[in-house]
Amino acid sequence: MKPAQFEQHEPETVEEAVSLLESLDDRAILAGGQSMVPMLRFRLAVPETVIDINRIESLDYLEEDDEWLRIGALARHADVEESELIAEKYGSFADTAPLVADPQIRNRGTVAGAIAQADPKGDWGSVLLAHEGEVVAQGPDGERVIPADDFFLLPYDTTLDENELLTELRVPVPADREGSAYHKLKRKVGDYAMAGSAARLVLDEDGRIERAGIGLTAVDITNVRATDAEAHLEGERPGSELFKRAGELAAEQSNPESDEHGDADYKERMVNVLTQRALADAAERAGLVKRRVSQ
Amino acid sequence: MTNAREITLTVNGTEHTIEVEPRQLLVHAIREELDLTGTHIGCDTGNCGACTVIKDGEPIKSCLMFATQADGSELMTVEGMEDLPEARGELHPLQEGFREEHGLQCGYCTPGMLMSGKALLDENPDPNEDEIREAISGNLCRCTGYQNIVRSIEYAADELESVAAADGGERPTDSRSASETRSDGGVAVDGEFDCGVENCCGGPTTDRERGGESE
Repeated sequence: MKPAQFEQHEPETVEEAVSLLESLDDRAILAGGQSMVPMLRFRLAVPETVIDINRIESLDYLEEDDEWLRIGALARHADVEESELIAEKYGSFADTAPLVADPQIRNRGTVAGAIAQADPKGDWGSVLLAHEGEVVAQGPDGERVIPADDFFLLPYDTTLDENELLTELRVPVPADREGSAYHKLKRKVGDYAMAGSAARLVLDEDGRIERAGIGLTAVDITNVRATDAEAHLEGERPGSELFKRAGELAAEQSNPESDEHGDADYKERMVNVLTQRALADAAERAGLVKRRVSQ
Repeated sequence: MTNAREITLTVNGTEHTIEVEPRQLLVHAIREELDLTGTHIGCDTGNCGACTVIKDGEPIKSCLMFATQADGSELMTVEGMEDLPEARGELHPLQEGFREEHGLQCGYCTPGMLMSGKALLDENPDPNEDEIREAISGNLCRCTGYQNIVRSIEYAADELESVAAADGGERPTDSRSASETRSDGGVAVDGEFDCGVENCCGGPTTDRERGGESE
C-alpha cells in the first residue's frame, strides 16, 4: 500500500512547527514514523499535510540536569537503549528500550512519538506514569507542562492540544534510594505487550517505601497507574509478602480484555506476577543507586 | 505530479539525485527510481524486515520511511556488498556464509538478513548466538527456522576475522588457528604480505573508499 498524496513540510525549529500547526487544518506530525507511516499506508490517516519534525535538531537530545532526565522529541528508542546514563541510573528505561519492537524500528522510532501515539499497549506510557513524569508541549501560547497522570485520555487520544507539539518527556532524577524496573510479557520478539508493569520505589533512610509508582501496559483503555497497590506499599518495608499483595491489588485494579492471546483472567494473573517482579527488581536497585553500580 | 521534489541519496558509494513525491517510501525509491531490486518488500506492514537497508550506519526498515527523509543520507543495500574491501572482489563473507551454511531456502528474506548481519558485525565483530538472534529479531524468515542463518553469520564473523588478520590487522584474542579458516594465505609479516588475490593485500585498493558507510 502507498499513502495518499500529501503536502509536506520540514520545519527546522519548534516555532516553525508550531506556526505550521496553527495555520494548517488537516495535518499529521511525523517523528519516528514507525506507527505513523503504517497508518498513512493503510489510509487510516489521510492528512492533507504531513509535518516532518525530523529536521528540528534542537529536539534531538537525551540528557540529565539537576532536576530531570529530559528526553527530547527526537530521541530514538535506540538512543535510550545505548545510553550509559540510562544504564547506570534509570532501570525501568533500560529494561524497556530493548523490549520495544525490533532493532530496526528502535533506530527510527522515538520515545516521545510513542507517548504521543498513546497506544494502550505501548510500553513507555507505563514507565512515564510510574516515574510521575511530565510531558512538555509547545503551543501558540508558549510552553505547557502536562503531568503524565493527566496526559492519556483514550486509546490513541491524549490531552495534547491540536496546535501543540510534544517537545520533551521528563522524569525526576532518582533520589538516593530509588530503583525502577519494567517487566513485559509478549508472545514473541517484536510484539506488543500482552501485559506489562513498570515499578518505581523510593526508600527512606530506614529502608521503608516512601513513594511507589506502578504503571500498567495493555490492560486498560490507556496506560494506567495501579494506585491501590501504590497506596498499599507506601510506609512499608520491601518484601515478598508485601509485593504479593501489591501484585494482587494491581491485578484487581486492571481491566484487561480477553483476546486471541489470552483471556482477561489470565492477563490479570500476569499483571500480578509482572508487578511482583518489577517491584522486586526496583527494590533491589533502590539499594544500589547510591553505590552507582554500573553494568 | 505537482509536489515532487529533488533529493540526493548516496547508495553503495554512488550519489544519485532523484525526483520523489513526498508520499514515496524509501523502499520504492530504491527499487523503482534506482532499479536496485535486491531490497525486497515482504509484508507491507513494517514487520518482516525484508526491506532492511543500512542508513548512515544503522539498519532501518525502508518501508517505514519516506524517501525525502533519507535526503542527504548514505545508504547501503545488498547490491553494495560485493564492492566492500572484505569481499575481495567476490562474495562478501556474509554472503559466503549464507551459501556455505545454507542460510537461505527461498532467499526472499536474505537481503534484509544480510543487512542486519552486516550492521551487527560492524558494531560487534565477535557476537555470540544471543546477540546474533537479537540483531536479526526484526527480520522474519519463513523457510529456514533461523538456525542456519545464525550459523551463516557466525561463519562470516570467523571469516572476517581471518581477512583482518591476513590484511595485517591485529588478530583478536582468539585461539582459532589460521588453518581452521579459509584465508587464502599465510601470516602477515611486517606488512610484507600478498594473499595472491588480485587487488587485495598487495597495496592500496580502489575499493577501500567505497561502500555506503561512514565509519
